[in-house]
Amino acid sequence: MSARSTRWWTIAGLVIVVYSFFPLLWMIMLAFKPASDIVSGKPQFLPTSWTFDNFTEVFGQPLFTRALINSIGIALIATFLSVIIAMFAAYAIARLDFPGKKVLLSLALAIAMFPQAALVGPLFNMWRNLGIYDTWIGLIIPYMTFALPLSIWTLSAFFRQIPWEMEHAAQVDGATSWQAFRKVIVPLAAPGVFTTAILTFFFCWNDFLFAISLTSTDNARTVPAALAFFQGASYFQSAVPYIMAASVVVTIPVVILVLVFQRRIVAGLTSGAVKG
Amino acid sequence: MAEISMRNIVKRYGDGYPAVNDISLDIADGEFMILVGPSGCGKSTLLRMIVGLEDITSGEMYIGGKLVNDKAPRDRNLAMVFQNYALYPHLTVFENIAFPLRLSGKLSDAEIRSRVEDAARTLELQEHLDRKPANLSGGQRQRVAMGRAIVRQADAFLFDEPLSNLDAKLRGQMRTEILRLQRRLGVTTVYVTHDQTEAMTLGDRVAVLKKGVLQQVASPRELYENPVNLFVAGFIGSPPMNFVPARIQGDQLELPFVSVPLRPEWEHLGGGDTVFIAGIRPGSFEDATLVDAVKAGRGATFAVDVDVTEWMGNEQYAFVPYDAPADISAQLARLANDLDSEHLRTQICVELDPASQVAPGSRADIWLDTSRIHLFDPRTGENLTRTASAAATA
Repeated sequence: MSARSTRWWTIAGLVIVVYSFFPLLWMIMLAFKPASDIVSGKPQFLPTSWTFDNFTEVFGQPLFTRALINSIGIALIATFLSVIIAMFAAYAIARLDFPGKKVLLSLALAIAMFPQAALVGPLFNMWRNLGIYDTWIGLIIPYMTFALPLSIWTLSAFFRQIPWEMEHAAQVDGATSWQAFRKVIVPLAAPGVFTTAILTFFFCWNDFLFAISLTSTDNARTVPAALAFFQGASYFQSAVPYIMAASVVVTIPVVILVLVFQRRIVAGLTSGAVKG
Repeated sequence: MAEISMRNIVKRYGDGYPAVNDISLDIADGEFMILVGPSGCGKSTLLRMIVGLEDITSGEMYIGGKLVNDKAPRDRNLAMVFQNYALYPHLTVFENIAFPLRLSGKLSDAEIRSRVEDAARTLELQEHLDRKPANLSGGQRQRVAMGRAIVRQADAFLFDEPLSNLDAKLRGQMRTEILRLQRRLGVTTVYVTHDQTEAMTLGDRVAVLKKGVLQQVASPRELYENPVNLFVAGFIGSPPMNFVPARIQGDQLELPFVSVPLRPEWEHLGGGDTVFIAGIRPGSFEDATLVDAVKAGRGATFAVDVDVTEWMGNEQYAFVPYDAPADISAQLARLANDLDSEHLRTQICVELDPASQVAPGSRADIWLDTSRIHLFDPRTGENLTRTASAAATA
């Protein structure tokens, strides 16, 4: 590649980075601005004075703290259940030959492609009749349902990559099927399990549609939905800096998760299992 | 330690094709048994049925006198070394070897440590115990796989082409190591290979399979000197046995390039225009100029056109083309197909002393030890000249 085209690639890359990071940076800047900056006639990128007031303000509101607890709880439970179920399902799909395997996989894919907005109305009625409207379980069920297909697909791809011999070797070494699964297959599929878990967590964490439609009080409202209910300190003050501060807070776990598990996501753990 | 006996073992896959067909075989306690054959002959399937990774369609499998047909692999107490080693990449070498011991759940940590270290010492893996399999060479991985097998007191060792992933030099070394280990531990061993050098050097007995059917079970020497049929004769030996058309005419056996006087042991075959396939090992020939007079009298000398020669240092091969009748040629092509090779041209391969000065493209005098000619029935492929005594002991 010539120096010229390398330079063009660099420029194109920079454009993309700026384009995608600008909203994020703008959000962070807004979160640190005093309320007066928002309403001043001359908007500027950097805050005139850096302040943590917005953060103390949002953490002082039960609307936000309660929503944060809901978000963490619901996302973790939905992720955990969905990954466990997906792991068993994907293992069965990867290893067993049973009638209807193709149908099952296509159905899973169909669910993933089904427009979620079309389901919200019926779900609202059903959940109210069942009495799980505005509860944690009422959000966990749809999150699991929509996260499972993708999880099953990713995990079965990972399981398929693990050589059969690994399991056979474990069985000959004296392991039961369960022991072979737990001691050999799961550790080998760990990168896949982590990837799936993170994707599912993001999906649950970021969801707005279900959160706003299937909740009505602090009881189960998650952060993305709660943001819409934020108000300024007084009628004359803008709520924007508080919303931005809350947004920054909910973005942090996502960033931390990606950074921490980046290495685990990297595949290649199976190298050396068989002749390389 | 246990003997393994198979009674009419059959493996039939979903499409009805019998991968293993009616095999009965007894492997004595402490015996080193080789299963050998071209690819697709069912040798690996048979091994996997012994260890329990394949279901047995019909027949009975006994290990140590107990019927194991319906036992899971873990209840059979066998140890297996896989072709691709199947090491656990997330565990260190120590934990890989300790894996079967930990699963048994009966041993203390100290006991496990001492047994793993014993095994590591046997296989010279001591300095690698803390490494992961990914950081090991092919030969080291192979030794770890063997360590995992020997660390527990298994009733038998099963090897599935354990050396086929190693380069030629290492393969030779590891072959000797496996033999030494088996002799020292005295454990019943079943070893699957398609490499006939391994088959000949390792086995107490060798079982030759063709398309799921057992052809012959015998010592390597017996297989080499007294093969039961064309297939075994063609499979065992490198370079392979030469097959040429032969015809008994009066008191002579006519070969394409020479007629030799009929030997007494061939007389029962009858005379008068019967066609046979004669099998002659390359080593049964010699450069006539290098054969001393006493020995020369025991064979026949004839002149042929040598096409090409291959000088290997410790031996030399000369190739002599000849014309074969179409039906014999077709039979040989079929045999070559069974043996996983290709029938290119009708020629014989002659092993000469490396000192021989026979030049390619020239005419040379070749001596043939007629006592070592095998005669096969061209239709059934059966060896008609197996010595009765050998046949009785087999």
